[in-house]
Amino acid sequence: MIELQNPPETALDFADLVLEHQSMVFSVCWHFLHDRDQAEDVAQEVFLGLHRNIASIQSAAHAGHWLRKVAVQRAIDAGRRRARRPQVALEDVAEPVAHTPVRDPMLRETLRRLIATLPETPRMAMILRYQEDLDPTEIGQVMDMPVATVKSHLQRSLALLREKLARRGVREEKWTG
Amino acid sequence: MDWLERELKGALTREEPSADFASRVLRRTSEPVRPVYRWPQWLAAAAAVIVLAGAGLGYRQYRGEMAKEQVMQAFKITSVKVNRIQSAVEGVGK
Repeated sequence: MIELQNPPETALDFADLVLEHQSMVFSVCWHFLHDRDQAEDVAQEVFLGLHRNIASIQSAAHAGHWLRKVAVQRAIDAGRRRARRPQVALEDVAEPVAHTPVRDPMLRETLRRLIATLPETPRMAMILRYQEDLDPTEIGQVMDMPVATVKSHLQRSLALLREKLARRGVREEKWTG
Repeated sequence: MDWLERELKGALTREEPSADFASRVLRRTSEPVRPVYRWPQWLAAAAAVIVLAGAGLGYRQYRGEMAKEQVMQAFKITSVKVNRIQSAVEGVGK
């Protein structure tokens, strides 16, 4: 059982909020940064930020929205800070074995790595669309951008991923057939 | 939703952080916040003024030294020329 030594004076239980939202916050950071240790560090900072601002949080749902928005901002900031370090190059992306059916564990890892090579804005839009199941309007609200821009990023990213996968011999007919 | 979007949903599922993540967060919330020492603004401004004034004085002194050196050089050149002229005049007189 996790004990909070100095619980904030609020109806919301901070420990419960951490347990409820840790996978969402961590996964946004992890899928964006593609580095578990860094993702955990950023996720911790997000929750510490919530702890500092807990008095302004009105409900559990508000906390969820707050955490998602701050996780998105902090992950993008962390990605920019490490921009000087070498990024995952497309050449480093593992090649799945040719003629394998699409639904294999390698494909999902390949997809995660390909997403990690997208520019920051479309990468985060893809994470919010497919991890968080948000529609373009909700993504626009979280990322402070017009819906049309979100849609454009999603469409272009999907087209790019299809192209990269096709080059690696992964096509729809293999999966459906 | 087509095959790629289904695969993306599978690839981007939520994952749990390490088992002690929540306890680490909660431990950090109970740590005393270290006060961040900030220099008083007036002190920073005063330091900037002193540095700028020092640099200005140093530059003035440097310019003075340079001017003095140029004047001395001019005197030396003039002296050499005068000596030559004097020698030439004395030669003509003889």
